[in-house]
Amino acid sequence: MHSGKRVRQTPAAIEARKQREKSKIQDYLALTREVTSRKKSRDFSTEALDLTQTLLQLNPEFYTIWNYRRNILLHGLFPNSSPEGINDLLSSELSMTTAALKANPKVYGIWNYRRWCLENVPDGPETEDGLSHSWKKAKWDRELYVVERMLDADGRNFHAWNYRRYVLAMMPTRRPEASELAYTTRKIEANFSNFSAWHQRSKILSSLWNDVGTSAISSREDEFEFVRNALYTDPDDQSAWIYHRWLVGSGQERQTLEREIGSIEELLKEQPDSKWCLESLVHYQRLLLRNNRDENSKETAQKCLGFLLMLQEIDPARRSRYKEIGGGNSRTKHSMISYHSYLLFFR
Amino acid sequence: MAESQLLIPLHVSYIKSLGDSKDDLAYHMTAHLRMNAIYWGLTALCTMGHKDALDRVEVIDFVLSCWDDEAGGFGAHPDHDAHIHSTLSAIQILLTHDALDKVDIDRVTRFILSLQKPSGVFAGDEFGETDTRFSYCAISALSLLGRLSDLDVEKTVSYIRQCRNFDGGFGNTIGAESHAAQVFVCVAALAILDRLEEVDQQTLCWWLAERQLPNGGLNGRPEKLEDVCYSFWILSSLSIMRKVPWIDADKLTAFILSCQDPESGGIADRPGDAVDVFHTCFGTAGLSLLGYPGLVDLDPVYCMPASVIEAKGLRKDWQALHRRLS
Ligand SMILES: [Zn+2]
Repeated sequence: MHSGKRVRQTPAAIEARKQREKSKIQDYLALTREVTSRKKSRDFSTEALDLTQTLLQLNPEFYTIWNYRRNILLHGLFPNSSPEGINDLLSSELSMTTAALKANPKVYGIWNYRRWCLENVPDGPETEDGLSHSWKKAKWDRELYVVERMLDADGRNFHAWNYRRYVLAMMPTRRPEASELAYTTRKIEANFSNFSAWHQRSKILSSLWNDVGTSAISSREDEFEFVRNALYTDPDDQSAWIYHRWLVGSGQERQTLEREIGSIEELLKEQPDSKWCLESLVHYQRLLLRNNRDENSKETAQKCLGFLLMLQEIDPARRSRYKEIGGGNSRTKHSMISYHSYLLFFR
Repeated sequence: MAESQLLIPLHVSYIKSLGDSKDDLAYHMTAHLRMNAIYWGLTALCTMGHKDALDRVEVIDFVLSCWDDEAGGFGAHPDHDAHIHSTLSAIQILLTHDALDKVDIDRVTRFILSLQKPSGVFAGDEFGETDTRFSYCAISALSLLGRLSDLDVEKTVSYIRQCRNFDGGFGNTIGAESHAAQVFVCVAALAILDRLEEVDQQTLCWWLAERQLPNGGLNGRPEKLEDVCYSFWILSSLSIMRKVPWIDADKLTAFILSCQDPESGGIADRPGDAVDVFHTCFGTAGLSLLGYPGLVDLDPVYCMPASVIEAKGLRKDWQALHRRLS
């Protein structure tokens, strides 16, 4: 549903275009009628398959026709094919969708059809070196290559990222998570703004750190170093700040939290009106206040209030939020009650 | 250049003219969205106070002509397969026109429930992908049909919960990146089920507020371009969590108005782009939630006229901005 630039056309130009489109419309509607009538009469022939291909090339969003195509394969062609035959049929289906995705990388129906094809690939014979599932493995292994080309073309395409996670979860031979971590490093280093890659990284690391336990500590330190580099490179890019928030989490490790606050304060000295520095400092200092109560709390709370006042000035679009967090809006005090009471207590 | 007023008469005539473009190739190429397009057009008309600009009988007849008797649901167009999204649109259109009595509610309920997977998520159709969008379609449709009691709520909520990310947002499947449209479907679904405690509201409203860009428009994910349709996905979510003031309403209003086509009517995704009925619907819906003067109240949970939802006794505890007088 996202179209290009509005072009102002003269009535004569519109009329000319409509004349040109006339025969296209007639052909398209005739083909649609032909295919839907074959569908109604449960025609599951190769001829019907070819007609759906022509129609889907004209209009890949026609979900009913993708469904019909599956039914032709399931009820017409698969039952009369050997496993080799089915594998060949699905190979050509996969080539067809590769071409379709290149032209239409955001059409749900094509991605979905491709999944269905992969899930129906027969296991295949054992290879000479004793590997089973040889067809299946060959097809799934190729998918990561396909999806990487899609992400090269558009690193934020969420269809492609979702498909990538699906492939990683379904591959007959699992890929080590460390390889996926390295992939996100490459994507992030190519473009720090690519939040899709940061997101993927948070998922992979959560899983890695869950599995390996203690060695996670040094890896977490490396991660702070990695994201700090991004924050210092472009402090206005929200992707790395959001990721940093994930890395800090609930801030249970006081030392880490205080170190990160210190590091952001350093950055703030260089960039005194950086909205994301201020916003993050408020967030992390509130975590500090929530988790620890000591002689520094009063000073921390006052610092927060000062930052919130600055934020109201430099980021007026979100002024109401900063006011509310600072306790300025008495009607909505419930959400910030602990912090608010701190402020009142120390005032 | 930018318009400062909502051009209601132009938008009404734009929506009315959509059915007359049968000599336009694009009209035929979008047949798979026809049911949704009629819902978008009708909802935009209701928001602008011109519900009757599309002929009621014609609209109802079209909806009924899309019934897929094999599946027991509605397709997007005659001869198209039943799909959960077009089924929701059909129910929304019929309810808006007070014609739900024309639906075989038992069969539609069975169709919807048949699409739920063991994980709790819903598929779009027989072969369809699974997506929290379809969970919303199912929950909203069952609620409008008065058949929510047939749903396994725990199982349904459990899937949505697993799609929640650290940034408070939701993705379309487990592990997927947060996306503003998925936030709407998940938050509204949980609101219908009275399960908003599943949402980390402070974190999510922060993330949503950060979608507003310096030009006033909203994006759907960090570091992406603004787009009018996110006005609705984000404003509806903020309304449900009663935090609309966390973004700059004046700047967003000006952005939506700047996306109008001042000559032929309709609203586009961005200024200067070609208009379509989808962005016209969600642009006007956004303006309604922003309290734009002269518009009719829209229910952000169901994206239908608030009066229709109130009459069904389905109103949830949302809060949009007060309607301004001028
Ligand atoms: Zn849009």
